[in-house]
Amino acid sequence: MRDVPKSMAASATALTLPLQVGEKRVDDRELVRLSQNGTEAAFEELVRRHQQRVFALVGGILHRPDDVEDVAQQVFLKAYLGIKKFDQRAAFSTWLYKIAVNECWDYLRKRKVRPLVYEADLSEEQVSRLDGIVSSDRPPESASTRMETREILERMLEALPEQDRQLLVLKEIEGFSVQELAEILDLNVNTVKVRLFRARGRIMDTYRRKVNSSGKAHAASAANRKES
Amino acid sequence: MATDWSTTSAACEKYEALLEDYLNGDLSAADAKTAAEHWQNCAGCRAALQHAAASLRLLRVAGPTADPGPGFARVVMARIREKSAGGANFWQPFVSFGWRFTATATLALAVFVSYNAGWGHLLQPKVTTARLTESMDLFAPEPARVPANGDEVLMMVADNSHAKF
Repeated sequence: MRDVPKSMAASATALTLPLQVGEKRVDDRELVRLSQNGTEAAFEELVRRHQQRVFALVGGILHRPDDVEDVAQQVFLKAYLGIKKFDQRAAFSTWLYKIAVNECWDYLRKRKVRPLVYEADLSEEQVSRLDGIVSSDRPPESASTRMETREILERMLEALPEQDRQLLVLKEIEGFSVQELAEILDLNVNTVKVRLFRARGRIMDTYRRKVNSSGKAHAASAANRKES
Repeated sequence: MATDWSTTSAACEKYEALLEDYLNGDLSAADAKTAAEHWQNCAGCRAALQHAAASLRLLRVAGPTADPGPGFARVVMARIREKSAGGANFWQPFVSFGWRFTATATLALAVFVSYNAGWGHLLQPKVTTARLTESMDLFAPEPARVPANGDEVLMMVADNSHAKF
């Protein structure tokens, strides 16, 4: 194991900090400083504050729900090991998200498999439901149809180039801002905007192809039925 | 029936970032005016904007990754403690090697001392003598024998005297 601060290893002596003074929370900078001095409770508070966003980020990049928790744990472990070297020039969250992105790339590099895109045609009902959502923002009524629609959307996202998929998911589903994405992915803000806009066009192209091919398949089967 | 999405959706490169800002509600009043003037005359940008807005509605169906819950931080801290404890045992392999080396050296020393103390003959195999006897030359003179009593001494002296003459 590398660079584990001895004082931090002594869990029994972990301090109970006043991490919330009245209404005012201790800010991240202070928690980082305390963590650097070996206060385990401060790091635990940082984990609690950022776990949701790290989960969202890792989930958005990996699109494998089963592995999200393992990778997220690894992210915090790496952050813990590297916190003494963190100079606080950037926000803790930005630093942490960069660790998360690198961890995700490593993970994806190790497991080069890309899930198979299931290219089944949509049923007429599914087409009309999707069309309702896309044309008028009409959300699916029942939980089961919502689940089904999500699965269709997942398949469409899988069909996109990896970078497009990640940008769209992180921005529109996980709620990261353009600014945040630029910082996390080390890209120019304008580049993120352009890529996002193009990715939107691509997912709609995928949607259009899917709907059109399903429509043709349905028309063909209807014609066959008529003939017979 | 499904909406017709067959119209082209390629926006002018110069306006893509502006269109994204517009979708996100981040467009300043001045930029909005510039963009609106362009879109009025550009079918590609208008279609691209329509598609992009539709993608917003489509993507809204998906839900974000669920919050891991309060147990997650505890699991992370437990893992950190586990790793930290592992870090404290850095010298463990060296220590165990040292112990093994000491035990082997002690055993070797004990064998050496006991051999020197006179128990070595117990360790020597008896087969060795037999082999030596077998390999002896039959025509070689007999090795000198140690006389067992006084008579044998006299006999040996007599033999030697007789052999000289």
